[in-house]
Amino acid sequence: MIRERLRPLASQAKRTYVQLMLDVVGRSLEAISQVDDEVRGEVAVLPDGFLFSMQVMPKGPALFIRKQRDGSLQYLGGSVAQRPDLSIQFKHLHHAFLVLSFQEKTAQSFANDRMLVDGDLGYAVRMTRVLNRLETFILPRLVASRAVKEYPDNLGLPEKVFSAARIYLKVAMNFVDTVRSS
Amino acid sequence: MSYYEFFCPVKVIAGQAALEHLPYEFSSRAVKRPMVVTDKGVRNAGLLDKVLAACEEGGMDITVVYDDVPADSSKQTVTAIAKEYRKQKCDGILAIGGGSPIDTAKAVNILVSEGGDDIAQYAGSGVLKRPLKPFFVIPTTAGTGSEVTNVAVIADTEKEVKLPFASGFMLPDAAVLDPRMTLTLPPQITAATGMDAMTHSVEAFTCLAKNPLSDAYAAAAIRKISNNLLKVMEKPDDAERRLELAQASTMAGIAFSNSMVGLVHALGHSLGAACHLPHGLCMSLFLPYVLEYNLEEIREPLSELLLHLAGPEIYAMTPKSQRAEESIATIRKLRDDLHRHCGLPRTLQETGKVEKSQLDRIAQMTIDDGSIMFNPKEASLEDARAVLEKAWA
Repeated sequence: MIRERLRPLASQAKRTYVQLMLDVVGRSLEAISQVDDEVRGEVAVLPDGFLFSMQVMPKGPALFIRKQRDGSLQYLGGSVAQRPDLSIQFKHLHHAFLVLSFQEKTAQSFANDRMLVDGDLGYAVRMTRVLNRLETFILPRLVASRAVKEYPDNLGLPEKVFSAARIYLKVAMNFVDTVRSS
Repeated sequence: MSYYEFFCPVKVIAGQAALEHLPYEFSSRAVKRPMVVTDKGVRNAGLLDKVLAACEEGGMDITVVYDDVPADSSKQTVTAIAKEYRKQKCDGILAIGGGSPIDTAKAVNILVSEGGDDIAQYAGSGVLKRPLKPFFVIPTTAGTGSEVTNVAVIADTEKEVKLPFASGFMLPDAAVLDPRMTLTLPPQITAATGMDAMTHSVEAFTCLAKNPLSDAYAAAAIRKISNNLLKVMEKPDDAERRLELAQASTMAGIAFSNSMVGLVHALGHSLGAACHLPHGLCMSLFLPYVLEYNLEEIREPLSELLLHLAGPEIYAMTPKSQRAEESIATIRKLRDDLHRHCGLPRTLQETGKVEKSQLDRIAQMTIDDGSIMFNPKEASLEDARAVLEKAWA
């Protein structure tokens, strides 16, 4: 009985968590594209104005990112009227929750058919590498190891801490700007 | 706890006089006027005549034949065949051939079922939402497994890109495996396509999306290839063993289309695109080197494969800790034997068609290939370059 009553609350909490995490990931992608050369190298290949989205099917939480002319990524929020050039779609809210709570690696989620790619597969592979790079920077090693296929051996603690601090700072400033402008 | 999906609704019609089942299969899908899609190689080898004769004897005259599918099929080819299909008022498709005629026929089926003249509008995954026209396939090589895969690739020559199509609706209603259709396959194509099927199976068994059902198909396919490929090289007209290889190819196709493939395919796709080498050869060139690269991630399944690669005696005699290495050694030996039989190259240098200066570009293409996502180990640009270096000579 109690479980029945709690179920909608748990589902709502899951939705809120996924929404929040996609928002954090979106802002962090914008930030890392400004501070990390490797990510800038990955993104350089994408055409200017390239619109990328991650969303939960059918009309769940989403994030939209656009590649700018200066080579950085711009976070556009959770909805954009334009059809994205590349979209990675979770088949269900729970599948997104598994990935965004680091219980399932992104690559494993693809392998488990929980995600669909609509767009150029090569660009999807590239964006997955960008997401992996982001996760290795902003998450503690123990958690990041659960999120990516292989934690990079060559990522030393000083580089990680320094880059993570810059990303977090930019994300925090981005949040403040959003609050101020709303 | 693991999760997987497995799907293969294709009816497999295999064995002696399998071709003679075609008229019944057509009638069971109410097909009265099928269109054959094939290539000149199939016609010149006399394989088309065997199919037409089997149908004629069964009371079904096939009069609409398109036999001009090129090796790398394009949008224009698909449009032209679809136009002919409509003009002739056909009501089903029979593909006869290797990967190119089968992929072309899959794309033609999309156009004639969904309408329009531009196949590009249906590119991508999950675009199709309903069943297509009746579709049958007779493979004439034992390697691609295209008769049981839900994908096709067609070149857009104007934009210089390859258009991928993926949908369960693209799967044929039936695949006909008749030993007569692979009996005259030349030795080097037999070897390369055999190694293609071997690679499909090994990657299906060792990559990220492996699952119990695809494992069963992959292991059985490896056993059949190990037991029969060299025997067929020695005695090409052995129909029984030819059928074993054809079945292995289909089983490998079922396995990998449900578990995906990894770095061997990522490298192979890139090498094939850059140097225009046959797909099966590309697979053979990289298989052992990628297994070595992935070794510590795949030690357990690769050890298990030794039973199917080398048989129970060698498996039992090999210490558990060395079985994975022995599996790689067995594959290397198979490549050496194939090289001795028909000159199938074992290294990039032996192909005579790859320049060392191309390796950087091939490595770059490799890490952007979709297959790399399912490789058990995260392969970087440097890793891909290192594998290419090992495969060089």
